[in-house]
Amino acid sequence: MVRLITHNILACHVKGCTSNNFPLQLQGVQIELREAEFNPEFLKTFLPKIEWKALVDTAKEARDTSLPLEQPEMLDDEFLKNLHHVLLEIHIEEGTMICPNCKHNYPISNGIPNMLLAEHEVG
Amino acid sequence: MAPPSVTSATISKEPGVYEDEFVHDIYERIAPHFSSTRYKPWPVIASFLSNLPAGRVWTIGLDKSLNLLKIAKNAGGVSREVVRANVLDQPWREGAFDYAISIATIHHLATHERRKQAVKRLLQSVSPNHGRVLIYVWAVEQDDLSKREIPVDELQPGGKDVFVPWVLPDPNADKTQVFNRYYHMFAKGELTQLVSEASEEMGLQVGTKNSDAQTGIELKQDGWERSNYYVELHRWSI
Ligand SMILES: [Zn+2]
Repeated sequence: MVRLITHNILACHVKGCTSNNFPLQLQGVQIELREAEFNPEFLKTFLPKIEWKALVDTAKEARDTSLPLEQPEMLDDEFLKNLHHVLLEIHIEEGTMICPNCKHNYPISNGIPNMLLAEHEVG
Repeated sequence: MAPPSVTSATISKEPGVYEDEFVHDIYERIAPHFSSTRYKPWPVIASFLSNLPAGRVWTIGLDKSLNLLKIAKNAGGVSREVVRANVLDQPWREGAFDYAISIATIHHLATHERRKQAVKRLLQSVSPNHGRVLIYVWAVEQDDLSKREIPVDELQPGGKDVFVPWVLPDPNADKTQVFNRYYHMFAKGELTQLVSEASEEMGLQVGTKNSDAQTGIELKQDGWERSNYYVELHRWSI
């Protein structure tokens, strides 16, 4: 499974593709929702590490529009529960991640993203 | 019958092709048996892990072997995140991690340059301000308990290239299959030397945090445990 907390750090690494290479766009994805234990301390630890705009955009591609465009200053329960759902309960099982810059396709199969490149694509 | 022994290896092909044949293809084939023989982490690794903030860690496993990843994804009934990638590549945002651990991996790379590249990737993957990296590789100096006879005929100062057999039982027949995996066994001091070179090429000063440099790494631990050398590195920036 690729959850969006993991997707939020994946970036294209094709040779020469060094700007606008993040976040990878989801296409043709199969999603499974699985409940996870709600842990506010975990979420507060990770919030500063998240690239917020990337997360909001990717959540939309996964058909979830519960997150605000700007990170709120007050972390109320409703916000944390939405964040919990987006980061930890949306599992991408199948599909493709596409680099916004060079359009390289990274497939996801059986919940495992394949970031391997061919020899000539490696930087 | 005596178990097959460790023999000297010569890298006879382009290193990437050589690693595919003598490392990657073998792990794809032995994955379930190999995984079933892994029980618990070595003490240095267990101690490193026990110092992480409990309940506030997100762990992602990286490997090139799809079959090992499929096992890692659910091993022990725990669901984990795994990513298929090459340790020579950087498929993440730089500095995204707080910790990185590389266990028994870098010694499967067939040249000094490639091993250095893997160290650089680890250092790049963690925060320049507080990232911590633990690296574990096989040592020429073996534990008596390992029962491995290492050929000492031509001890190279820069370590030793060897084949280490993996004996795969065949459940349907009274016979076994032997796979010779390529290893670079590290000489004493070679791992710290590799780290110094990687750091220098990245513009990182090796030593404790000081105001003479913008950024660097501190060697927190440097030792030998159960036939392996290990280092723990802490990144710092002013
Ligand atoms: Zn790209």
